[in-house]
Amino acid sequence: MEEKYTLKRKTQYGILSIAGVGILLLILGYFIESPNRQELWANVLINNLYFLFIALFGGVFLALHKIAYAGWYTALKRIPEALTKFLPISAALMFLIYFGMHDLYHWSHEGLHDPILEGKAAYLNVPFFFVRMALYFLGWIGLTYLLRKNTLDQDLNPDLKYHNRGKILAALFMVFFAISSSTMSWDWIMSIDAHWFSTLFGWFIFIGMFVCGIATIILLIAFLKSQGYLEYINKEHIHDMGKYLFAFSIFWMYLWFSQYLLIWYSHIPEETAYFAPRLTDHKILFFTVLVINFLFPFLALMTRDAKRNLKWLSFVAIVVLIGHWLNVYMLVIPGTIGKTAQIGLIEIGFIALYLGGFLYVVFTSLAKTPLLVKNDPLLEESFHYET
Amino acid sequence: MYVSPIREPLVTGKKTYKKITDEISAPIEGKPGKAWYAGITLTVSALLLGLAMMGYTIWEGIGTWGLNKTIGWGWGITNFVWWVGIGHAGTFISAILLLFRQKWRTSINRSAEAMTLFAVMCAGLFPLIHMGRPLLGFFVFPYPNTRELWVNFNSPLLWDVFAISTYFTVSLLFWYVGLIPDIGTIRDRMKSKFKKWIYGLLSFGWTGSAKHWQRHESISLILAGLAAPLVLSVHSIVSTDFATSVIPGWHTTIFPPYFVAGAIFSGFAMVLTLLIITRKVLHLENYITVGHIESMNKIIIATGSIVGIAYITELFIAWYSGVEYEQYAFLNRATGPYWWAYWIMMTCNVISPQLLWFKKLRRNLVFTFILSIFINIGMWFERFVIIVTSLHRDYLPSSWSMYEPTMVEVGIFIGTLGLFFTCFLLFIRVFPVIAIAEVKSVLKSSGDQKDKSETKEKH
Amino acid sequence: MRRYISAYFEDEENLLRATKDLRDKQLSIQDVLTPFPIHGLDPILGFKRSRIPTIGFIGGAIGCIIAFGFQAWAFVVDYPLFIGGKPHFAIPSFIPITFELTVLFAAFAMVFAFLIRSKLGPGANNPIHDERITDDRFMIIVDLDEAGNQDELVKEILLKEEAQEIKVKEIDK
Repeated sequence: MEEKYTLKRKTQYGILSIAGVGILLLILGYFIESPNRQELWANVLINNLYFLFIALFGGVFLALHKIAYAGWYTALKRIPEALTKFLPISAALMFLIYFGMHDLYHWSHEGLHDPILEGKAAYLNVPFFFVRMALYFLGWIGLTYLLRKNTLDQDLNPDLKYHNRGKILAALFMVFFAISSSTMSWDWIMSIDAHWFSTLFGWFIFIGMFVCGIATIILLIAFLKSQGYLEYINKEHIHDMGKYLFAFSIFWMYLWFSQYLLIWYSHIPEETAYFAPRLTDHKILFFTVLVINFLFPFLALMTRDAKRNLKWLSFVAIVVLIGHWLNVYMLVIPGTIGKTAQIGLIEIGFIALYLGGFLYVVFTSLAKTPLLVKNDPLLEESFHYET
Repeated sequence: MYVSPIREPLVTGKKTYKKITDEISAPIEGKPGKAWYAGITLTVSALLLGLAMMGYTIWEGIGTWGLNKTIGWGWGITNFVWWVGIGHAGTFISAILLLFRQKWRTSINRSAEAMTLFAVMCAGLFPLIHMGRPLLGFFVFPYPNTRELWVNFNSPLLWDVFAISTYFTVSLLFWYVGLIPDIGTIRDRMKSKFKKWIYGLLSFGWTGSAKHWQRHESISLILAGLAAPLVLSVHSIVSTDFATSVIPGWHTTIFPPYFVAGAIFSGFAMVLTLLIITRKVLHLENYITVGHIESMNKIIIATGSIVGIAYITELFIAWYSGVEYEQYAFLNRATGPYWWAYWIMMTCNVISPQLLWFKKLRRNLVFTFILSIFINIGMWFERFVIIVTSLHRDYLPSSWSMYEPTMVEVGIFIGTLGLFFTCFLLFIRVFPVIAIAEVKSVLKSSGDQKDKSETKEKH
Repeated sequence: MRRYISAYFEDEENLLRATKDLRDKQLSIQDVLTPFPIHGLDPILGFKRSRIPTIGFIGGAIGCIIAFGFQAWAFVVDYPLFIGGKPHFAIPSFIPITFELTVLFAAFAMVFAFLIRSKLGPGANNPIHDERITDDRFMIIVDLDEAGNQDELVKEILLKEEAQEIKVKEIDK
């Protein structure tokens, strides 16, 4: 079976116009809202992280299923592969942060005379921060490139060695990711509130990433199917993606609650300092995030029919994606802009610009390679996927 | 259902449906061998020792334990957490692996779930004994009483009561619902009238009707869906016993998920320890194949690595926090008077499972068996390290102290080991160790016969 | 007088084909008895989807409300006590027990629903047609009309799929 996705003019225009609207809104917002440097950089960081999460999850999705010997996902492998193509751009955008360090990270200021931050200086210092950033991206981009290249080679050659090599690469990726996903979230998010610390933080970020990634893959499947592609993706595949979205939304809540409960219960000032501004200055948003990211998908996807209905599932995926953007917003904002933060033209403009760019990269890379992998020994299982 | 030819068969030896029934029912029908009698003698003696020590503790009081004012929790709670942890593999296998459509679970879920129940029974004993007056144990339940008081719903210890009793009950329901069809099988095979009557009673009148099967499948799936978050919740709640406090080394937010990973890790180790022997003694090598062992080893390495990352995260964040007490707590763990416990834990839990990256070792039974014992020991020490080293040097240096267990505590621990293995030995004589119906349902797709029709008996 | 025919197959594929044939010919299948659940049998027999999940949801919802309600009532209304500086209405503290009881109630509701609806339970005395149904026989029981006009048709379908021990039975009502 051959299938190749062609990027239609209409789609291309659509994507570019999203980016265009973004730029327009940014210009408009710049003059109307006259944001300060801090707000601009905070927005850059939020969207950097958000789209990095989705792109990086492409690699996680591939690697996890590969090492678990899953067969069902094989037919939709190219979608997460396309997501990982955004990683190099993420890297470039992340390095831009260099110019906004002082606006985002309080610890990067010189001469703070803060004994706690001085104690952390061995880890939290600007050169090491960027060395680590470089290392993370090197690992992620390198390993996802190899994973993708491996399946492309496999398309041409039915040798089983690609399957075995894929497993090794996937294991390597998972090991690298397991460490880097935690350290990344300490570096880029936790250190915004430089005094605060939570051991759970990295895992909490990871599960948020999981949910965003699954929601994005669901939407891409829905889009491609609406264009007449992916006929071999049946209700069972959709059902499984729905189960993922359902289960990991619950899991996300579990981790959120674990962290909150323990800090709330122990009531140690060093730790509650994190939740205090969130609960006073951003109270509505704080609880909205929980409703959108947990309560809504939990109730909306509880029944079997809901998980198998692609239209409804896509709707839930969109809502959850908005919810997780707000979650990232809530992670970054209180420590950078603080009380005065508001979601306005600038915020929406940034999202639109990033979204346009992201979709452009993903769709062009989807169009570059055949939409269906070949020669994977487990591919046949994916076609005969039943309960 | 199509299964790729590169997948290893899950049932080997070209089985037919009849052969599966015959072979799995054999241990129930035959007479136990010498090994079984030797085993049960040993475990019952251990159990009797434990009972004697428990009796002594209750008669004399908790003063017979090595606890003191600084270290109020010692072996008792260590064992409690250890046993609850071991009780996590069973429901993980039958619930989470069912949801993830892992067919290899069908050969191991029954015995693993039985282990869950026995382990939770052992775990529950410790808080009960530690109360000092176990006859007043019912005080933990919120019932209208003459003291006009409610139990403290703010206390993690009370959450434990609910978590563990719910876990035990739901696991029991899940296990028994799964057992009903297999008990039906045993009932229909029994020759003696009395045994037939007993199994008939236990089988709840199972007939194998299509409508029953439909409901049975539906309930299994939904119970799995409920049991999956339940597994996560139980050890999370156990971890809050420590983590809601303000003790450095106890209060850390990673505890709930990290305890769960550790629990599954230790649970799988215990499942491996027992099944490697069981498959040999009961001649079930065709059902619990080396492939099954390898799959379990993969879960061991995954959960073991998660636990390792959690250890390192704790260590790093303790330094990063800049909190003097946090930093000292972890320094003291690694280099203080209990350094040996810490390094036993590190070696057994983090370093040794890394050997499983080698496929050869994953498929080596002797190695796996030894490693599984290592992990059991390592995970016991993990709880010991968390509990005792965090407590023994608290905020007030004048009350720093050391703890060592008395013979009474050791005896009670040995007693619970006795209880656990006695229950398991009885279980394998009474109920099928492998889910007969479930194995049959994967035979066509995952057996090793060339032709699908070879599953029926030849005439 | 009620008449029915019983037979067993040794392979579930035969059973599936025979059942489909019989259903296509508008014959009434009294029951199909198998050693393990047969994939794809339910739609052929025209079973509606089981309502056990709904019962589980209702049970869970009741457990959730009872658990949370009781804790809140006990600590806010009945006997408010200050414990560890926490508010009386300490929502995070109530969540663990609420969750546990939700699961407990849901599980009990479903298991009881399953047992009651299927008429299973300790002491249930259901007829056992063949002791090897729980071993390796896939049994089918088909209703026949009193006149015996359907006998041949049913037998033919069963024989085509290699059915064994085809027996016509009659019971007086």
